[in-house]
Amino acid sequence: MHILRIGLLLGWRQIQRANKWTTLLIISVMMLTFLNLIAVSGILVGLITGAEIAVREEALGDLILSEKSGEDHILETETIRRELAAYPEIQAYSVRFNGGGVLEANYKERRNLAAERDTASVQVTGIDPALEDSMSNLSTYIIDGEYLDPNEEGYILIGYYYLEEFAQQFGDIFDTVSGVSAGDTVRLTVGNVSKEFKVKGIVQSKVDQVSLNTYIPEREFRRLFGRLDRNADQIVIHMNENGSETELKNIFIENGFDDFAKIQTYDEGKPKFITDIKNTFNTLGTFIGSIGIVVASITIFIIIFINAISRRQQIGILKGIGIDRRAIEIAYVLQAAVYALIGSGLGALLTYGFLIGYFEANPIKFPFSDGILVAPPEETFIRFVVLFAVTLIAGFLPAWLIVKQNTLNSILGRK
Amino acid sequence: MSAIIQATNIHRRFGEGALETHVLKGIDFSADEGEFVAIMGKSGAGKSTLMYQLSILDEPSEGTVLIGDTEISSFSEQDRTSFRLNTLGYIFQNYALVPDLSAAENVMLPLLMRGNSWAEALENAQKVIDSVGMEGKYNNLPAELSGGEQQRISVARAIAGKPKILFADEPTANLDSVSGQQVIDLMTKLNSDYGQTIIMVTHEREYAMGCNRIIHLEDGLVVHEERLRE
Repeated sequence: MHILRIGLLLGWRQIQRANKWTTLLIISVMMLTFLNLIAVSGILVGLITGAEIAVREEALGDLILSEKSGEDHILETETIRRELAAYPEIQAYSVRFNGGGVLEANYKERRNLAAERDTASVQVTGIDPALEDSMSNLSTYIIDGEYLDPNEEGYILIGYYYLEEFAQQFGDIFDTVSGVSAGDTVRLTVGNVSKEFKVKGIVQSKVDQVSLNTYIPEREFRRLFGRLDRNADQIVIHMNENGSETELKNIFIENGFDDFAKIQTYDEGKPKFITDIKNTFNTLGTFIGSIGIVVASITIFIIIFINAISRRQQIGILKGIGIDRRAIEIAYVLQAAVYALIGSGLGALLTYGFLIGYFEANPIKFPFSDGILVAPPEETFIRFVVLFAVTLIAGFLPAWLIVKQNTLNSILGRK
Repeated sequence: MSAIIQATNIHRRFGEGALETHVLKGIDFSADEGEFVAIMGKSGAGKSTLMYQLSILDEPSEGTVLIGDTEISSFSEQDRTSFRLNTLGYIFQNYALVPDLSAAENVMLPLLMRGNSWAEALENAQKVIDSVGMEGKYNNLPAELSGGEQQRISVARAIAGKPKILFADEPTANLDSVSGQQVIDLMTKLNSDYGQTIIMVTHEREYAMGCNRIIHLEDGLVVHEERLRE
């Protein structure tokens, strides 16, 4: 116990009397290392998390109902739709009908029948415009024109990936039509049935399910696709702030909804690649952060080594007057620990007090996502423990190397 | 009087083969309890090397050192450190205070290491600092003290644990004559008033005049012994 006490006394006094600029430099290195460890992987994961949040907000919601295995559509959709109104934990929902069709533009100006038609194979979603907007705020993603009016027919919204002018920035990966803007007329063909629509608006979102889609009112969809049974393909639900999708899923099952539809929470229903990419980015971030740890540990090693070697004679004298070598080693380990704690503490303060909020308010704009900073406290704690442990070792090793030297040689400055 | 330290046939060699240097060439030395012995000699005579063997800071190449009833040649490094803490006191020529610790904390170090509580160590340290004439300088850092004052704190640290033998390696070498004399007077007082056994290396004869005995070394051998007083 007294060895520990002397070690702490020696170490603490060294910290107190150390050059303030040197201390500031060391703490800055530790803080930046901590940030490197947390923020790099946090931003990488945040890219995917940003995309994930967007998919949840704009497309899939918190709870997803889809067709049961072996069925083409959700059964008894109208019954389910009526029942949903009775659940106060549901904030909003949308009933969607999905199908594929061919969109054709510029056919009225086409003079040469031998020329290639301006067509694109498109995903078509039939929606109740009001329900869909309350669920996904689809109207806020209109970049040209207006959102669908529930009382109108013959209008279509087109995702901007289907428009050549927008899609060409991504290369030749999307099937597109050209020169289409709000107010133009296009033709949608499903099988042998064609119908003209006026383009009401162009939709732009970073979520593929939205930007690579066309929207028409549900009634017209059913007529066009011959879906007269009113059974939908997807019902997506947003929960109230305090609602739990897992609890609601269980209630749905208790109430027999699972006889008509497959019920999945967002986490169950989200595309697997999102989880895979998230884990990959997390690993990548950890790898990059590990390099930071190695750099920081070398820095701490050098700092403590220089500190210890410049005090070699003093260390020899301490041993000479009977101070146990472990007390001297503790003194240097304490210094490393204090630097790591203060540096990590400041890093954590910066991360949770500023950076997370800042990136939420000002996400990094990437083509596929608005990147935020993700730093779950439990993961941060684990990384801090790793950084702390490595720092302690980096503090102990040089002290051990110097302290183990012959006492008299240390006192006399001999090699 | 019984011998508190007895060294027999002490040899110390450095290096090997053609590069070997034979610094101590078979020295017999003893000091009685309460004795104040000065070791003198020209530079390179081996006086500091002898003191390092006697004070178990170094291991002789040959020969034995007996302190009290303890033969220390078989001690491990850990045992030596512990033995130095509990039995010996040291005054180094460059004061050797820990620059980050206050005067009181420097003196407290060996006391804390012996297991004294903080309060006990502080009380004892202040008493000893008072006894070396440094009242009120408890909280001064070494850098805030003159060389003579630092050396007196160094003396206080050395005697705080009431060592059986106090070793002083040229304690006045870095001091002006006034400060040097003050340190010598202090050591003489410790010897005369408290019977403290002191073995001091010095190359200044005037500082050795208060000792009981002066041992003269030359080329690694004791060439002459002067008894100044009983």
